[in-house]
Amino acid sequence: MAALLRGVRAGRALRGLSSVVAAPTATTPQCSSLSRGFHRAAPRLQDDFKSDKPPPSSSSTTFHEHYQAHSAEQDNTATASHEGAAAEQASRPNTSYQDQSGEQGEEYETEEQLQARILTAALEFVPLHGWSMEAIASGAETLGLSSASTGMFNNGAGDLVLHFITQCNSQLTEILAEQHKQVQLGQAESKATADFLRDAVETRLRMYIPYIESWPQAMSILLLPHNIPDSLKHLSTLVDDIWYYAGDRSTDMNWYTKRAALTGIYNTTELVMLQDSSPDFEDTWNFLDNRIQDVVNMASTAKQVQSTGEAVVQGLMGAAFTLKNLTGLNQRR
Amino acid sequence: MSASMRLLVRRAIRLSDTNIQISAAARAAARAAARSSSCRCFSDAAEDRSTHFGFETVPETEKAKRVYKVFENVAQRYDIMNDAMSLGIHRVWKDMLLHAMHPQPGVRLLDVAGGTGDISFRFLEYVRSQQERQKRRAARSMQTPSWQDISNNYSTEDEDGPLESRAVVCDINKEMLKVGKQKADSMGISTGLSWVVGDAEELPFDDDQFDIYTIAFGIRNVTHIDQALQEALRVLKPGGRFMCLEFSKVTNPVLARLYDAYSFQMIPVLGEVIAGDWKSYQYLVESIRKFPDQEEFTGMIEDAGFYCVQYRNLTGGVVALHSGFKL
Repeated sequence: MAALLRGVRAGRALRGLSSVVAAPTATTPQCSSLSRGFHRAAPRLQDDFKSDKPPPSSSSTTFHEHYQAHSAEQDNTATASHEGAAAEQASRPNTSYQDQSGEQGEEYETEEQLQARILTAALEFVPLHGWSMEAIASGAETLGLSSASTGMFNNGAGDLVLHFITQCNSQLTEILAEQHKQVQLGQAESKATADFLRDAVETRLRMYIPYIESWPQAMSILLLPHNIPDSLKHLSTLVDDIWYYAGDRSTDMNWYTKRAALTGIYNTTELVMLQDSSPDFEDTWNFLDNRIQDVVNMASTAKQVQSTGEAVVQGLMGAAFTLKNLTGLNQRR
Repeated sequence: MSASMRLLVRRAIRLSDTNIQISAAARAAARAAARSSSCRCFSDAAEDRSTHFGFETVPETEKAKRVYKVFENVAQRYDIMNDAMSLGIHRVWKDMLLHAMHPQPGVRLLDVAGGTGDISFRFLEYVRSQQERQKRRAARSMQTPSWQDISNNYSTEDEDGPLESRAVVCDINKEMLKVGKQKADSMGISTGLSWVVGDAEELPFDDDQFDIYTIAFGIRNVTHIDQALQEALRVLKPGGRFMCLEFSKVTNPVLARLYDAYSFQMIPVLGEVIAGDWKSYQYLVESIRKFPDQEEFTGMIEDAGFYCVQYRNLTGGVVALHSGFKL
């Protein structure tokens, strides 16, 4: 059913796109909602073709390429997490379209952007209602919409949690990019890998502190079978981002081992944080330190084990040869 | 489709010998409609616009009157016929509508073409049980309330007032509303329910009044569907939801054949046996065939100005649940 609806929307999206590309400036008074969304994209598309950047799609995607990470952040108006900046940027080229089509109200943002706004507003009700439809309903009401608009969120609380995760990930990426820029400009020193990882994970986990009471509920929602693909995708994007900004450019097995290690560290630290009651979560950060040290030690230990193993094998072979000599098996008669 | 049409006409001619009166004009019109392709036709003359009434073609002004008469006749046996024709599955459909709606406490529902009030009763029950569950959850979290909590509880008991959900049943047909009111009285539901006579194309309500607008199995009887959709947009609050439950095109070809056979051969017979009215149920199955399919109806809803329009097929496409938002 969900696949059917996605297919339906995709089909309509293609139709809307073709109609817009054919007549980007002429608008009829009865344009469908989706083509309204694409009319917003049309001026952006034209701008983007001029400046040679990838055209954004109206469906919110969390995938972003690292090469465009910096520039895309300023121009990435399509991701739901940037809807604050997006609404600003979208309204600027659109004043002419508002006049042409004579529409009013929510028309200058897409449905996804409105959904993102509702979910962001709902986050402040999470301490009260938990991660649930009631929080989303309260969020919608603060925006002046009826609580019936929660019907837009087919995944209910899952939508809210995933939106929050996406928001945290993009905040972290901004912070890391800013730090990277500082280092490149020479205004700051680059950190050692272990310290960098430690700071990145700590920054990211600190974003959970306002919601730490209800975070177990959020984690259990993320573990529901229909949410697992999305939550894994967000987790892998997060870990990938951290390693990228830590300077990892490996192209061999190390790529996988590094990310697996960091995933393990992040997940275990998150679980420790849930049960931590020390002031300012000191125990959690100590745990994080120890785990990162373990990984660093593991790398050097692995090399030592390898060389030791080689030495042991050589010793054994020498012993076997000596035995053969002693028992006379080595003689040639 | 043509085979069932021929079956229909043959049956019509055969049964004209019994007490069922089928006027010669209607028969001729049915035959003429059978010959031509079964599509809606609007004549060019301004005052003589015609629309479909089942497989007949009638002037637009007449359709509303004839629909009124159909439902006036069937009002008393409406619920029994629903159970018989759909083998009770219509209850599941309506429950699924409520489930998809998932109303929060304190919302106002407008049930258009609500007639005997099925949706409204389910809505009130859903909201009441949700409120009870919330109260139970709140009570569980305060197992040993302090004096402060108890005194707060006494003052917040009046807060149920603003959170009260209300349902308004609106129907063009007074007979259907009468049957609904009788049902409500027998079930003992009185608070939070009102009954209003009104035309879906011209609702007697102000703008921005309701959180949810539902129309279950009624929109195919409306003469101008786009006007009804625009009225729905008008009376909904911003963020409000439009939900429509309606018979639609069956996607599976095997099921479609069975469904057609069942519709044209069983349902009018049931109508005659149980309600004593062949023609009304003939109109019912014909009007289902004339209604636009899922995609087309979705387009109409979007044209009226709704966003996030989606539909869900129930029972393989026999019924479709459309939903849109006023944003």
